[in-house]
Amino acid sequence: MKAWLADRLPVAEVEAAIAHKTVPQHRHSIWYYLGGMTLFFFGVQVVTGILLLLYYRPSAAEAYDSVQFIMTRVPFGWLIRSIHSWAANLLVAAAFIHLFSVLFLKAYRRPREITWITGVLLLFVILAFGFTGYLLPWNELAFFATRVGTDIAGAVPFVGEATVRFLRGGPEVTGATLTRFYGVHVAVLPAIATVLVGLHLLLVQYHGMSVPPSVESEARRAGRPIPAMPFVPHFALRDLFGWTVALAMLAGLSAFLPWELGVRADPFAPAPAGIQPEWYFLWTFQALKLVPATVLGVSGELIALVGMTAGALALVFLPMLDRNTDRSRAIVTWAAIGALGFMVAMTLLALVGGHS
Amino acid sequence: MTRTLVVLFVVTVALAGAVVVRAVVPAPQEVQPRQPAVPDAADVHVRNGVTCEACHGTPLAGSSATAPIYAPIARTAIAPLCARCHADAAYMRQFAPQVRVDQYAQYQTSVHGQQMAKGETRVATCSDCHSAHGVLHVRDTRSPVAPANVAGTCARCHADADLMTPFDRSPEAFSDWKGSVHAAALLERGDLSAPTCSTCHGSHGATPPGVDTVANVCAQCHVREAELFRASPKQPVFAAMELADCLVCHNNHAIERPDDSWIGFESPAVCAICHDETTNGANVIRSVGDGLRALRRDTDEAVSLVARAEEAGVLVEDGHLALASAREAHVRLRVLVHAFAAPPFDEVLAEGRTAVEAARAAGTAGLDELDFRRTGLAIATLFILGFLVTLYIKIRRLPPITN
Repeated sequence: MKAWLADRLPVAEVEAAIAHKTVPQHRHSIWYYLGGMTLFFFGVQVVTGILLLLYYRPSAAEAYDSVQFIMTRVPFGWLIRSIHSWAANLLVAAAFIHLFSVLFLKAYRRPREITWITGVLLLFVILAFGFTGYLLPWNELAFFATRVGTDIAGAVPFVGEATVRFLRGGPEVTGATLTRFYGVHVAVLPAIATVLVGLHLLLVQYHGMSVPPSVESEARRAGRPIPAMPFVPHFALRDLFGWTVALAMLAGLSAFLPWELGVRADPFAPAPAGIQPEWYFLWTFQALKLVPATVLGVSGELIALVGMTAGALALVFLPMLDRNTDRSRAIVTWAAIGALGFMVAMTLLALVGGHS
Repeated sequence: MTRTLVVLFVVTVALAGAVVVRAVVPAPQEVQPRQPAVPDAADVHVRNGVTCEACHGTPLAGSSATAPIYAPIARTAIAPLCARCHADAAYMRQFAPQVRVDQYAQYQTSVHGQQMAKGETRVATCSDCHSAHGVLHVRDTRSPVAPANVAGTCARCHADADLMTPFDRSPEAFSDWKGSVHAAALLERGDLSAPTCSTCHGSHGATPPGVDTVANVCAQCHVREAELFRASPKQPVFAAMELADCLVCHNNHAIERPDDSWIGFESPAVCAICHDETTNGANVIRSVGDGLRALRRDTDEAVSLVARAEEAGVLVEDGHLALASAREAHVRLRVLVHAFAAPPFDEVLAEGRTAVEAARAAGTAGLDELDFRRTGLAIATLFILGFLVTLYIKIRRLPPITN
């Protein structure tokens, strides 16, 4: 069989590449596992998402009932749906931690600029997955959170209203929005994610793991090479260990804290008090709330939107902004600490405000 | 001397005559001009261009054109005066095509109207309820005759003991009504369809319903209960005893929320007013009362079972549907109590019991599902732990990392 495959595929080359692939071993090596963990959660989402697709019906009239059917009638449907919801949150958390660890370890440096850019784009895709998927059960919280979320786009001058209509499939959040979000969630985003994940992984294999500048200089000063562990089996088994722990965590969360279905969305009902988006959008939500209505005659919401867009662009093109000097790296580090502090503070403020 | 006595006699007679005339003739202040009232801009008459002269006629002689003074209208003349327009369909049509014009005719049939016709001016006339110069449409929530304000308007007189005692009327009606389920629905829940004074007594034709017509009044809303009662064996008995149908058990103004404990032989059972365990119908009272209470108890137990499953994260939609059916059966049973017979009651009771069983089964299935999930998780965790231990051992046995 192997010989048959070897005649047709570059099996020997792949085997040789795997055998020679190593992972640097140093005090920051633990952060290398975050990428694999993010990939694991992404894989869980793909598998559970496909299973949910078998029963989910993307219309305002049937969506809620179909999710209820999945959770009450389909064997292990409750488990699949809960794992999908929990893994979505853990995926976002893992992606954020992975991004900040790469940022603080300066792993985006030449020649890994494209790896970084595909990674940041993947984070945006993951957030888009979260935003579109949140509406799909068509419950009250999701309905109003989507209304608030899509409203933000209306602050953009000239094209704001058209953008809101494009996002919602009309002037209001309706069944058309649900169908649209469903299409984006199960077709558009997976297609983009497949390309980005493929490219990201290919580049990681191609360039290998980045070693932080501090570790590099220490090794240079000491005049000895940085230890490295074989990818297979040393690193792969450790990765597998982490994934198994994550799987156990997902099972436990799903069994003891099953994801709620909530109350069926009623577009004619008034918005319930304390509507908030998912935790990973809370900081944006709170920042928009704190911005004054107008600043020097300009809409505060627009200013916040411009600021966030500028921040997102800066994040994407960070490797180009960092000149790879000690000063430049220090600026990036402090800017990242500031951004992280701002996000955490805004999230805490929103949580405290939402429960007071 | 004689002349002096004659003069004194004439003067005395004149004074006595004046006193008698003063007592018999309407009080002078009723016909004396008063300070002019300033109509409220929101007054329906002002808004429709109806001027002071339309009711009061021409200003009194001597008053200025810029501040005219009009003679007040005697209380007995108010209703006929209002009727000049409000009973004229052709005239009223110009303001509202479907406006009613029978208010005066109704008023004349009311106790107020009949007493007023006899010259009793202490009873209510149009302006007492609608006000004189600030008349608002009944749909205006500020109007004293808007649904939520009617009872308070009636209470201005009917809660006044000094005013009611001469007419042999109880001043307690308003306070009784305020503690009733009807007042709670209207004033607390804002249900404008809930009954207030005028719903049962009529508005312009206000009259206390007679003993023989009380059921008709209640039947305006409680249709099914009234139908069952009229067809029940109780109706001819009440008629023969001249009992006021619904009021015997439910009271008139102080209507409380009915409770299952009302069916039985011990306080607060209303059956016990007439029945004890030895009288006719005791078996029906017992089975109906026990059936209602058992269904309530079993429903409550099923509710807590379903809630336990839900709090643990299991969706129990079937349980909720069954509980809704059980509650509906309980409501229907409370209505069927008015049939005063076992057969229709027992059928619905059986439906209720079936629904409770279904809810209980759904709750139990939910808790079983929970056990299954947790057992499954425990077994899966064991396998995962075993796998992790194996992995750990394997990792420890890997060749050491070299440079």
